[in-house]
Amino acid sequence: MRHAAGLAALPLQTPGRLRRLVKLGDPSSTWTRIMDGERVIPGVDERVWRAWRGCRGLEDAVAARCEDAGISVTWVGGPGYPAPLLGDLRGPGVLFHRGDLASLARRRVGIIGTRAASRAGAAFARRLGNDLALNDVAVVSGLARGIDIAAHRGALVAARGAPVAVVAGGVDVTYPPEHGAERDEIAERGVVVSEAPPGTAPETHRFPLRNRILAGLCEVLVVVESRARGGSMITVREAMMRDVTVLAVPGSPSMPVCDGTNALLRDGCGPVTDVDDVMVALGLVTGAHLRSVDTRRPPGANEQFLLDAFCGTPRTCEELVIATGRERFEVGVMLGRLEADGWVAHDNGWWEALTA
Amino acid sequence: MYAAINSSTLHGVFGAPITVEVHIGHGLPGFAIVGQPDEACRESRDRVRAALLCAGIEWPNRRITVNLAGAAERRGGPTADLAIAVGVLVANGEVPLQATSGTAFLGELGLDGSLRPAAGAAPLAFSAEGERVVVPSASVEEARLGAGLRTVGAADLREVIAVLKGLEKWRDAPRGTVGTSSAVIPDLADVRGQPEAKFALEVAAAGFHHTLMVGPPGVGKSMLAVRLPGILPVLDERAAFEVSMVRSAAGLPPQSPAPVCPPFRAPHHTSSTVSVVGGGSPVRPGEVSLAHNGVLFLDEMGEFAPTLLEALRQPLEEGTVRIARARSAVELPARFLLVGASNPCPCANEQVTGCGCTPQMRHRYLRRFSGPLLDRFDVRMWLTRPRTEAVMSGERDEPTTVVAARVANARAVAVRRQGCPNALVPPGMIDEVAPVTGGARTVLEERLRRGDLTARGYHRVRRVARTVADLRGDDDVDEDHVVVAIGLRREMGRR
Repeated sequence: MRHAAGLAALPLQTPGRLRRLVKLGDPSSTWTRIMDGERVIPGVDERVWRAWRGCRGLEDAVAARCEDAGISVTWVGGPGYPAPLLGDLRGPGVLFHRGDLASLARRRVGIIGTRAASRAGAAFARRLGNDLALNDVAVVSGLARGIDIAAHRGALVAARGAPVAVVAGGVDVTYPPEHGAERDEIAERGVVVSEAPPGTAPETHRFPLRNRILAGLCEVLVVVESRARGGSMITVREAMMRDVTVLAVPGSPSMPVCDGTNALLRDGCGPVTDVDDVMVALGLVTGAHLRSVDTRRPPGANEQFLLDAFCGTPRTCEELVIATGRERFEVGVMLGRLEADGWVAHDNGWWEALTA
Repeated sequence: MYAAINSSTLHGVFGAPITVEVHIGHGLPGFAIVGQPDEACRESRDRVRAALLCAGIEWPNRRITVNLAGAAERRGGPTADLAIAVGVLVANGEVPLQATSGTAFLGELGLDGSLRPAAGAAPLAFSAEGERVVVPSASVEEARLGAGLRTVGAADLREVIAVLKGLEKWRDAPRGTVGTSSAVIPDLADVRGQPEAKFALEVAAAGFHHTLMVGPPGVGKSMLAVRLPGILPVLDERAAFEVSMVRSAAGLPPQSPAPVCPPFRAPHHTSSTVSVVGGGSPVRPGEVSLAHNGVLFLDEMGEFAPTLLEALRQPLEEGTVRIARARSAVELPARFLLVGASNPCPCANEQVTGCGCTPQMRHRYLRRFSGPLLDRFDVRMWLTRPRTEAVMSGERDEPTTVVAARVANARAVAVRRQGCPNALVPPGMIDEVAPVTGGARTVLEERLRRGDLTARGYHRVRRVARTVADLRGDDDVDEDHVVVAIGLRREMGRR
């Protein structure tokens, strides 16, 4: 185990080289052979071999660091290596993880999307994460801001299900910094995985690599909101390469954050408007699925009138005043009430009606 | 041999009476000024000598000692020139002592003996002792704001000497309009749409609540701010007096007739901290004092130096700026309505759900305002682009006069109730002024419990709710008022 960690932590290591090294067989013998100066795999520069030979003792340092942070290591062919990644031609050679890898034995659904999510998009991701967790599905996401964290939070609220987070940096590196609490809770109830050794900074190039692992771990991938060109689209491509079912949540055509998802729908992805759509895609026949209950206080007649005036897109206060014909003070009161009860949300001067 | 002449010296924006004592005695010829004169006053030795010579007076070649006696720490300033010159004349026996009794002299002398206007004529004249205050003719209008009919003007030293010798009479100062008249404030109806912002501005004006406007460029933040003085209640006599005093002390031309419209100051974001807060040597009032009883508008607030913004916290809290020096401390009035405007993000490009900036970029941009500073804004609003129809239509919204009438009404109600605008209600009085009962209490409790409101926010929201109730003509603060008040206090840069 410590040799597998050492192999992953070698300088100038790449996912491809690591995978080939691990596939050679027992990591400890591979490690010894490298240290003894044997060029165990072809096509690697002499410069790299020199650097690697100078790393005697690295395996112990990495193993100690893993132990301190409560991180376990597995590798292709090693104990507990997630089955869905075994057949993956570009899967991670070594997987660092905190938590129980058995979570990945459940049905797995990825929920991904933009970091700059709309309030309504984040609310939907949260509800979907919650509903899936209630049905004992493992919600897989990337712990990023926006849609990712909303889905994770929704899953954590449910008493069941095991959340799975795939992060770009080391498992012990908190990124983004404000999501430390969620990361720890996911590790406790599910699992946090990464192919990067502990302490690795979440550098830009690691995110697309992370996305391929995320795609490989999902059975169904739901994109909640995404721009036409975004990190989520990389995950979508990776998922399609792996024959993972990709579903998208329809959004208003007037919102740029829905461009990507709407394009996916146009290209033939299945739409998701409810947890049932995902359950069907998983092959779990629809019917008596558990779902979260809307606990919000029902709006009064006046407030419902205002909610109806939204017509599904974000509105400014001014538009609502004109649409309802009410006085601005009255609209202010109604918006305040609806906001307090969670029916609408305010962002940058725009109001959005929340479906859940 | 000896003379004592009344004059006064400027201390921040206030005048302080001083007595200029002049003694001419035996000894080596010389001219010394003692009594902690400031730099400008030490220079007056040369100015006074030249001016007297030009006025045809023989300079006494004896030992002349001038003492500035008074309560202020640093005395003098250029306006002591005239008093020193008159003192020399009296002590030298050129002018009878009785002629100067009960008269205060203020004014800077030119080398040719002419009297020059100097900054601070109004507060100087106000504090000068005596039944007559002599000032340069160019400053008469300004000095009259402080000393009223006690003020007389003189064009040069020759004229002063002639009057003191009994050869002429003080000329009746011309009563006319000097200086600038108050600027014309544009009408609120010019701003199309933006009902939410206009309502927020109305609340801000009625309750004197500090306001922060965040929105993309071109939506009318500056347009709205410039129109705020128009809807603020007109200045009463006392407030107008204070405004005039500060203007005069800052060396700005007097407004004539006396200002009724609250001042509006909009320093550029590259302004230095001292120019905005006040300071220098001698201490001069800054923009915050010039905005006293009026509006201080900080456009592009995020671009101001962070130290400057933090320096605003004390005046915001206390209504004064205290500038302490090793020798003295000066207190400048600074009770202003702060209006800040900022773009929501660095790119400032608006689309329905924002621009290319990520929430983090927006967050970072708005984090330029520290928590404590943001906390002092009772009204924080997001502006959005007005609808095309509103921009294109010729339809005009409510004009300034209509809104101003509502504001004046609400302010009058508040002043009658507690003697001050709602934003300035002392914490001890808030329970009495704006009791929270019934539905209002439930709403506030829930927001507090959920962490949407801080303790300070809770108290500020109650004040805003009181203003909203006053504007609607309601005696009690009810649930609707509180809900609207909370809605006017939007979070900035957190998500």
